[in-house]
Amino acid sequence: MNVEIFVTDKAGLQKFYEAIIARNETWAPVEKFGKFDFKRVSSLGECDPDSPIATTRSAKPLFFPRSAKIMKYTADSTGTRVKETDEDPFTAKRVILGMKHCDARSLQVLDKVYNWDYIDNDYQKRRQNTVVISTRCDKAETHCFCTSLDYDVENLDAMDVLIVNGTEGKVHITARTEKGDAFLKENLDPASCILHPVSDEELKKQYQAFAASFRLKMNYKEINEKLSKIFDSPEFEDVSANCISCNTCAFVCPTCHCFKISDERVKDTGVRYKSYDSCNNGYFTLMAGGHNPRPVKYRRWRQRALHKFVYYKERFGENLCVGCGKCAVSCPVNISIFEVVNQVASNEVV
Amino acid sequence: MDYTKQIQEIASKLFAEGKIDVFVGYRLTGFDENQVPVLIRDQKDVSQLVFNDRSVFNLVNYLKYEHTRNKRVGLVVKGCDSRSLNLLLTESQVKRDKLYVVGIACEGVVDEQGNKMQNCMECVFPDAIVADEMLGTPHEVRKYKVNADIDELASKGLVDRRVYFEEVFENCIRCNACRHSCPLCYCAKCCIDQETATLYNGANTTSGAFHALMTWSLHLAGRCVDCRNCEKACPSHLPLHLLHKWNERVIYENFQEHLAGVHEGDRGAFYKYSMQDPDDFIM
Repeated sequence: MNVEIFVTDKAGLQKFYEAIIARNETWAPVEKFGKFDFKRVSSLGECDPDSPIATTRSAKPLFFPRSAKIMKYTADSTGTRVKETDEDPFTAKRVILGMKHCDARSLQVLDKVYNWDYIDNDYQKRRQNTVVISTRCDKAETHCFCTSLDYDVENLDAMDVLIVNGTEGKVHITARTEKGDAFLKENLDPASCILHPVSDEELKKQYQAFAASFRLKMNYKEINEKLSKIFDSPEFEDVSANCISCNTCAFVCPTCHCFKISDERVKDTGVRYKSYDSCNNGYFTLMAGGHNPRPVKYRRWRQRALHKFVYYKERFGENLCVGCGKCAVSCPVNISIFEVVNQVASNEVV
Repeated sequence: MDYTKQIQEIASKLFAEGKIDVFVGYRLTGFDENQVPVLIRDQKDVSQLVFNDRSVFNLVNYLKYEHTRNKRVGLVVKGCDSRSLNLLLTESQVKRDKLYVVGIACEGVVDEQGNKMQNCMECVFPDAIVADEMLGTPHEVRKYKVNADIDELASKGLVDRRVYFEEVFENCIRCNACRHSCPLCYCAKCCIDQETATLYNGANTTSGAFHALMTWSLHLAGRCVDCRNCEKACPSHLPLHLLHKWNERVIYENFQEHLAGVHEGDRGAFYKYSMQDPDDFIM
């Protein structure tokens, strides 16, 4: 694909956003109670696509909603009948603005699991109908460690359109996929941009400054290797001691994908939902008959850490963590998965 | 308000005398000035302990987990924390002789931005009520005042209130961090987690969140001590205190000025029965 870099300024970018919102169903970060989350927007004033604060939840709810209707049914003395569900609100053609790179990357990770032994049609449809526009961060936040993981943040191709802030108020807009290219042709006014042929020197410079701003750095290969050997480490009990067993980390995580099935029933009619679930729940592995293979907190914690850095890697060749730090930001007791895996790995039992 | 040194000394002494198995306190996060709860099990780790106006979390919450169960526990409590401890003692959830309580005469704690917490500005009982040892200068008696947010909410009218709370529940992700961080939510299996029951809605929907949060707030009516652990834990920053403060006000006005856990042996408002109790309102 021939890569073209459009260069515009802040005002040009605002116009680009306005044009997108006017022509498409658009989702963007919206502030509510002091936190940002992706919401449907109808004007640029409602949202802040360039917000330096990452959204509390990732863009995961737009592809894997917190609760999705699977079916409707009626059940009475004459029998049970399954009815068609309403149309899925997330399968319409849409654009997502202001996604961070970690969120965009998480979609690639989720793609693998949703294209595995069972093809999730709803997820595929949501993915196909979405144009992802991602803005590269200028500075890492306290808990960010995306550059320490097994993907190339600089040349990430998970988004359709990439936006990078350059020097002197310049903004670089470039397509990363065929879909993105077609989208730019439709929505970007060439009169407001200069078309740069190749010179991506400035983008490199911006990336270097961004990469230098990280507080957290680790060697993921070392972590993968060490964690794979320490299933029985007593260290897990210590690091999980102050965990309060809520589900916040899993629910805000862009890559956690466990779900449960539950019914909302009024008299004879009901709706069956697929909702988020988390391995931190005490009842997550509870079986009929009462046996629970993970009855205590540290075993559940170990499962979460090892699934992220060992089990998923063994099956799909990637880490189930994109280094966004959302779990640490939202954790009621400030537990950071980065600290925990590093602490456990550094106390490796020989 | 900085009792770091005193608390380290107390914990160290308790371990040396073999009086406790675990000490629950605060330590620094390691990258900023905020703090996280820490469970110390060895005298050599005592130097991690800190206490100042960033020691926000209510540590009484940790008395319900396996790390402290059936163990002798040392614990730091502020005024509000001690009220919840008082309730746990009354409700037979912890044994007093297994606890060594370090009480703080609290000057108020601050949030992550460094502003004094709203509940601290309205605090009626800043001094720890249950304590084996007190740190700080005790405060004068203060008078309970109705929260300004509740006045504003009450002036809104039923329809507007409903609209407001629908917005709140829409932003809830049902992670249950509020429930898990509440020291008074100690049920081994919560009623709102019953997956198969048709009475409660297990799905992660707005109506499910409404159901869960309303049930939860009514179970805490007359017991909530306004420590705001739930609100600090909420990843969506929902104003959960409004639910509890509303209940607190109704109970204060109707149940002989009852405030939860302020006396030893005090029971929640709904555990007591009196012929004088009014029945002319629906909460």
